[in-house]
Amino acid sequence: MERKELLKQINSIFIDTLDNEDVVIEEETMANDVEEWDSLTHIQLVVAIEKHFKIRFTSKEIQSWGNVGEMLNCIQEKGI
Amino acid sequence: MIFNIGESFEESFIVSEEIYNGFIQIFKDTNPLHTNENFAIDKGFKGKVMHGNILNGFLSYFIGECLPTKNLIIHSQEIQYKNAVYLNDILLFKAEIIGVYESVKAVEFKFDFKNKFSKTVAKGKIQIGLFI
Repeated sequence: MERKELLKQINSIFIDTLDNEDVVIEEETMANDVEEWDSLTHIQLVVAIEKHFKIRFTSKEIQSWGNVGEMLNCIQEKGI
Repeated sequence: MIFNIGESFEESFIVSEEIYNGFIQIFKDTNPLHTNENFAIDKGFKGKVMHGNILNGFLSYFIGECLPTKNLIIHSQEIQYKNAVYLNDILLFKAEIIGVYESVKAVEFKFDFKNKFSKTVAKGKIQIGLFI
């Protein structure tokens, strides 16, 4: 999947999970940049992403993400 | 992970007088649908309709007491009410694991409550997190 399309789909997942139509995420976006992105929401985001792309992460992978771009890298490494 | 996809659980619950009265006493929801027999019958029901959120109490019991670990917390739950529940109804509760997310130590169940006529009175999903 093209990186731009992947980011678009991830953005939709963020909008649904955070229940905020105004959320716009970029490659550089970090949890601290989005008010609703707390530890519980992070779990919901990961679950929603795993469901959407039918992939599974490891806890080590999740802990390595510093921003959305690194999350996208991890998704693409799984063949998406 | 101690949970596996497809694993299922069953419990039965009675919507007893004690639970019904306790719910009203604690939460003060005395809407006539729940407390006035004639009002409820006039609206097409067989009698006083039990509060839907009583079933959430049963869900709380299931998650807190019936699973093989106490190291858990409810992340989210959704419930749809399909048919009325009446006083002293016996409900058969079934839950099945439909998602295990090792990365974030989360487990998702689908569940339903059926009455003695095998009619689904409520169904939904619930996600828990594990403290491990």
